[in-house]
Amino acid sequence: MSIARFSSFELVLLKSRNQVDTAVLLLLAWVLVKREHVSEGQRRRRLAQVSAQFRHGHELGPVMGIAHAQDLQAIQLAAEIMRKDCSSERSLSVMHQAITLATDDGEVSQHNHYILRFLADLLTITPATLHSLFHELTGKPLAAPQDLSSDAYWQVHDPYYHQRQEQAAQRENAQAQEAEQKRQQQEQSREERARRKRDDAQHKRDSQQQKHDEKQRRQQEREQERERHRQSEQQRRQQQQRQKQQQHHKQEQRRESAYQPPQDRTSRALEILGLPPGASRHEVRRAYRRMAQLHHPDRFFSESEQLAAQASVRFQRIKKAYDYLMQTY
Amino acid sequence: MRDLYQRLSLTPGADDNAIGTALTQCQNSALRQDAQTVLTVPDRREKYDDLHATLSDIGRLRARLGLTHGAHWQGDVANDFSLPPDHAISRHDELVDRVSHAILLYNRWRRFRGPWLLVALLATAGSIGLAAGFALCMSLGTP
Repeated sequence: MSIARFSSFELVLLKSRNQVDTAVLLLLAWVLVKREHVSEGQRRRRLAQVSAQFRHGHELGPVMGIAHAQDLQAIQLAAEIMRKDCSSERSLSVMHQAITLATDDGEVSQHNHYILRFLADLLTITPATLHSLFHELTGKPLAAPQDLSSDAYWQVHDPYYHQRQEQAAQRENAQAQEAEQKRQQQEQSREERARRKRDDAQHKRDSQQQKHDEKQRRQQEREQERERHRQSEQQRRQQQQRQKQQQHHKQEQRRESAYQPPQDRTSRALEILGLPPGASRHEVRRAYRRMAQLHHPDRFFSESEQLAAQASVRFQRIKKAYDYLMQTY
Repeated sequence: MRDLYQRLSLTPGADDNAIGTALTQCQNSALRQDAQTVLTVPDRREKYDDLHATLSDIGRLRARLGLTHGAHWQGDVANDFSLPPDHAISRHDELVDRVSHAILLYNRWRRFRGPWLLVALLATAGSIGLAAGFALCMSLGTP
């Protein structure tokens, strides 16, 4: 047994003359609190108006305070009492009151979409009944709640959507350009440094080589005369050979582009399945089964979308490798 | 409504850096697009967080009340915000327990009020007598 003190809602409930009325009051106050574009005074007046025929016999202030704090334990207690003690007629009338409170002037807020549906489930009101009740009271069908987590909702409901999108795009462009400029500057400075080094080195080399060159020139002149005879003959032969080789090379290239080396792809596929090269067909099948069980995306379905996506990529790779091996082996 | 935080494996209070890294790592382009629209603009995120808090509360309530398979609880919301039912004791039973405990204590007090009062009376009389005796001793001892 807990030794905790009585919470404020429990005290209100114990003092109440009618517990069900108090519970209903809290849930209606919750609906009111989640209504948009209403002042606090209007909320209190509306709650007093609704609860005129209730027989709770206590102040509304504390109940409103609890609803504002969205005290989950108090709301759970109220829900339990209501579910336990509400007759079917009473539950319909409660639903009726909740809908009027949520839609006094037009739209149901996103919060109240879910709260009304929660109350309907709590009071065992079927969707058909809820829809017809809503239609009777407001003259409009009960729309499905909108999806705040989607891009499409904000395209419609955010008046500055396109401006913001453009701003974000501009910001990204500006950042990209800055990064580009920085990169270019760095490259330029690097090139300049390299050029300077090269220049310095060449100056030294030039002075040494000038002496060396004069000796070499004389030797070269003698050799060149001898070689001219040989080269003229060799050139003829080489040209003939080159023509032959080029024809041969083209044919080979055509073959290679269509035909990948089999060894490479097979060993890669085996590696994906975690097998050494030269594994048997039976081993490949067993390894595939094990890997597929390990990496199947359905295993990660409950964790997060990102993990599931990664798993599906891995699974695809494994499956491709297996398919390839089954074809070739 | 989907729970973008859960789908990006973030906590609802995640800061902008964490969201940024999660967005870059996210491989589902549609989810990334939506999360970028909603979570990177402060006032959109504020509205989303507000509704997110209400929905998590409703999910918790439904789990405790056994309403996770209700007819009105469907689609993305039901998938993302439903919790496994916890077997916490019902609040109403707890209230009844506490009230009966309080009643038990009260009744016990009423029943044994006579003897308890007698004991208390004797104790106070004894302590007063002791104090008086001590004071007398002190006053006799000083001159």
